[in-house]
Amino acid sequence: MRGRGAKIAGVLPLFMLFIAGRISAFEDIERLRIWPLPAQVSHGGRRMYLSGDFKLVTEGSKYGDTSGILKEGFDRMLGVVRLSHVISGDRNSSGSGGSALLQGLHVIISSSTDELEYGADESYKLVVPSPEKPSYAQLEAKSVYGALHGLQTFSQLCHFNLKKKVIEILMTPWNIIDQPRFSYRGLLIDTSRHYLPLPVIKNVIDSMTYAKLNVLHWHIVDTQSFPLEIPSYPKLWNGAYSSSQRYTFEDAAEIVNYARRRGIHVLAEIDVPGHALSWGKGYPALWPSKNCQEPLDVSSDFTFKVIDGILSDFSKIFKFKFVHLGGDEVNTTCWSATPRIAQWLKKHRMSEKEAYQYFVLRAQKIALSHGYEIINWEETFINFGSKLNPKTVVHNWLNTGLVENVTASGLRCIVSNQEFWYLDHIDAPWQGFYANEPFQNITDKKQQSLVLGGEVCMWGEHIDASDIEQTIWPRAAAAAERLWTPYAKLAKNPNNVTTRLAHFRCLLNQRGVAAAPLVGGGRVVPFEPGSCLAQ
Amino acid sequence: MSTNLLRLILLFITLSITSSLSTPSPADSPPYLWPLPAEFSFGNETLSVDPTVTLIVAGNGGGSLIIRAAFDRYMGIIFKHASGRGSLLSRIRFLKMVEYDITSLKIVVHSDSEELQLGVDESYTLMVSKKNEQSIVGAATIEANTVYGALRGLETFSQLCAFDYITKSVQIYKAPWYIQDKPRFGYRGLLIDTSRHYLPIDVIKQIIESMSFAKLNVLHWHIVDEQSFPLETPTYPNLWKGAYSRWERYTVEDASEIVRFAKMRGINVMAEVDVPGHAESWGTGYPDLWPSLSCREPLDVTKNFTFDVISGILADMRKIFPFELFHLGGDEVNTDCWKNTTHVKEWLQGRNFTTKDAYKYFVLRAQQIAISKNWTPVNWEETFSSFGKDLDPRTVIQNWLVSDICQKAVAKGFRCIFSNQGYWYLDHLDVPWEEVYNTEPLNGIEDPSLQKLVIGGEVCMWGETADTSVVLQTIWPRAAAAAERMWSTREAVSKGNITLTALPRLHYFRCLLNNRGVPAAPVDNFYARRPPLGPGSCYAQ
Repeated sequence: MRGRGAKIAGVLPLFMLFIAGRISAFEDIERLRIWPLPAQVSHGGRRMYLSGDFKLVTEGSKYGDTSGILKEGFDRMLGVVRLSHVISGDRNSSGSGGSALLQGLHVIISSSTDELEYGADESYKLVVPSPEKPSYAQLEAKSVYGALHGLQTFSQLCHFNLKKKVIEILMTPWNIIDQPRFSYRGLLIDTSRHYLPLPVIKNVIDSMTYAKLNVLHWHIVDTQSFPLEIPSYPKLWNGAYSSSQRYTFEDAAEIVNYARRRGIHVLAEIDVPGHALSWGKGYPALWPSKNCQEPLDVSSDFTFKVIDGILSDFSKIFKFKFVHLGGDEVNTTCWSATPRIAQWLKKHRMSEKEAYQYFVLRAQKIALSHGYEIINWEETFINFGSKLNPKTVVHNWLNTGLVENVTASGLRCIVSNQEFWYLDHIDAPWQGFYANEPFQNITDKKQQSLVLGGEVCMWGEHIDASDIEQTIWPRAAAAAERLWTPYAKLAKNPNNVTTRLAHFRCLLNQRGVAAAPLVGGGRVVPFEPGSCLAQ
Repeated sequence: MSTNLLRLILLFITLSITSSLSTPSPADSPPYLWPLPAEFSFGNETLSVDPTVTLIVAGNGGGSLIIRAAFDRYMGIIFKHASGRGSLLSRIRFLKMVEYDITSLKIVVHSDSEELQLGVDESYTLMVSKKNEQSIVGAATIEANTVYGALRGLETFSQLCAFDYITKSVQIYKAPWYIQDKPRFGYRGLLIDTSRHYLPIDVIKQIIESMSFAKLNVLHWHIVDEQSFPLETPTYPNLWKGAYSRWERYTVEDASEIVRFAKMRGINVMAEVDVPGHAESWGTGYPDLWPSLSCREPLDVTKNFTFDVISGILADMRKIFPFELFHLGGDEVNTDCWKNTTHVKEWLQGRNFTTKDAYKYFVLRAQQIAISKNWTPVNWEETFSSFGKDLDPRTVIQNWLVSDICQKAVAKGFRCIFSNQGYWYLDHLDVPWEEVYNTEPLNGIEDPSLQKLVIGGEVCMWGETADTSVVLQTIWPRAAAAAERMWSTREAVSKGNITLTALPRLHYFRCLLNNRGVPAAPVDNFYARRPPLGPGSCYAQ
């Protein structure tokens, strides 16, 4: 993140050559209909059309695209631009002649790798020429994943002209330089409270790319069910709701791969020791006792063997540098209430709280041994912050002011304060999602650099395949702009972006995403007939 | 087949049965088919389905592209898990162990006609059996008179297939299967309303696709109403100005694409223009269609221009919508504007018309326009209750308001579509699935020759409070309850305790919709489209 400004400044003079001279005023921004707003935008006032065989060309690119990530991204981009419309118009009869015709997109990527690395450069530059200029738009990026962001922006510049029946780009020439403000822009899904079928998870991933979110935090397992296959401990799968509400190991690998090809990391979570009752369905020895089933038995080595087995299996498919170990809401009553564990506590001279610390730290060590850096929910920091491994990222949810304390102590932090960024709080309106500032009260640059970003959380108690999309969208988009767009460009009053966000919500609808109306809290239904743009 | 291999297979089956004891699986349960086929029998074997199952076609219609495309669609649905079709890993793993029981799907279609009209033969037989001495290859066979019957058979086949998480393969439980199936009604509709809220093309396609899962076969497209006019009409291009915005529109080509997409799934599209009472948006582009600027509905009955526009719209639509039925609306006509507008009032006086006479005049004139375009008119029931004896005898009456209107309409020799609002209006959120299910279109109609005039029924998804964000979960799962009522035999849906005979299957079908990416809402909630009450299994909510 830091230091990127200098790099962009370095390329700016070259870039200036393309600028046609019409720099738009700041007030003009809200008319741009781009979400999230790019770091720098200028545009003109001319209209161009996309050629019927709009091409991807990559001359001069160092990236070979042997995996097809760029080509697929390009094809997906064209798909959402066409929006299932039949493109039948004759572009050359538009009166502007062939010169207004854009033949394709020239993508130049300077890095040859398609390794999806956390914190890697996601910036891009997008130039759409004026009608007089050469006939290709140009997209430059360091990595293919930056280029994918550029394709998303390009797709939002394009519109289907329903009268001419062609794809057009208005306000050319366009010059856009863009990069995210935060490197961690997450969305949590919860497949334990309700199972989410594979196509639903894939739809969620696709919709995330439209808002340039880049981490899918997969809260796989919890008290209620254990849907994922763990080859090392196959009976864990008995904790699934039913024989069919399950993910095979291959399914999970496929989700990771599907997300990766869209530039999205998958953060896997096992929430120990407090949210793991379902583990004991297959291995009752993990429960303190049959009638006191949570948290996991701290006194038994078997507990940590199972955690080790799970994380060992995870390391084969979840390639993100972080794993989430939970650690929230640990009610330790069962430990004292179970004689065997009470004795163990006594023997080791541990209070319940110390046993909680012992558990979390031991789990951290296991994760580290598998090459992961760790994310834990904030209670671990509050209770024994100084003991946490320095590689720990603390995930906020409960307390305001936590981010200040965490970063002051030198640990990294992810912001998900529940009153603003918990999507299951359906009375929380989008304005709150937009206005929630991760750097709230943090002015020290060093501390700011420890805030990796933020995450909106779609907890699943009342969320299943039937209502997940409209509970996530459009509110997640409001947070996505907060996490992407430079602070100076963000609206001080969220209501100033209403029109642009309404447009993005309609864009999601057009792309088949069931984003809810803006008017009201979360998951509202339209209260009367009307235009999508006005609701 | 060698005895060794047979032993292996037996061992394999035994293993999978043993393992299924610990976790409930479809193997232990009644046939989870929705809607229930007319006749079926099953056995007690579990068969595995080859991820590379091949399509073998036969008969005059076997070569149809509709069949090929449907086969590809259903393979995607059946083998959607990572270890499914196309996964080399699993193929190698299983090839080492066993052969698959089902290696081909044979589809026999007798007719080469792809014409899709009301009453098209949708019957099919489906047989699934294991290899034995008589047949060398284990196979599934679908036999149908038309491609559309074969599509219904493919849907049923896909519902027999279940992914087994223990073996990571697709299995068919309770084989051998023998299914002989046909619908009870030829018209099984769902209404969508793109005037109150615009529905993007992609969303309409999702709806059509989901209809095919429940074997519904008519999409009633209530395109235009007083709020907006989203469809392009080349003959009167200004009508398009009645769209909500320049984004919320359909081109002629878009509409044709929707019709084509639906036909590929055996679904007809019935277009509606609702005249004269639900047409205010027409006047945005042509204010002359309004009685006056301050009194805009119903359409101006006095002007030939009004009927010229209707004729133009219908001429344009005729090129898009090949279905023989066309809906002319005719409901909720409040004629006050006619009484209160001077030139209309004078016209009425000149002809010695009451406003009701004028309403009749309008509807009948519109009917003649539709008939001249070789369409059979469909009208909402008010036209029948107001001037039934004057309607063209070909008219199909669509019920919505009065529960016994079909009874009365068929007694007069009209055909009828049942859509009783108390039960089959999906925008009524306080109607739980049982009430939808228990509603019988033939209630009170005993004479078999009159029963035949009830061509079917339709659930209506009016759009006042349903847009892209909620339309699918408001439709499903309740539309499925009506779909079974209209497809399955009357005996099957009327006998017994539906909590036992239907509910477990409906739970299963709702989860099947979810698994196919359709956001069907929980079955058990009293109010439609509400979120699940708490954590839990899809099959228990």
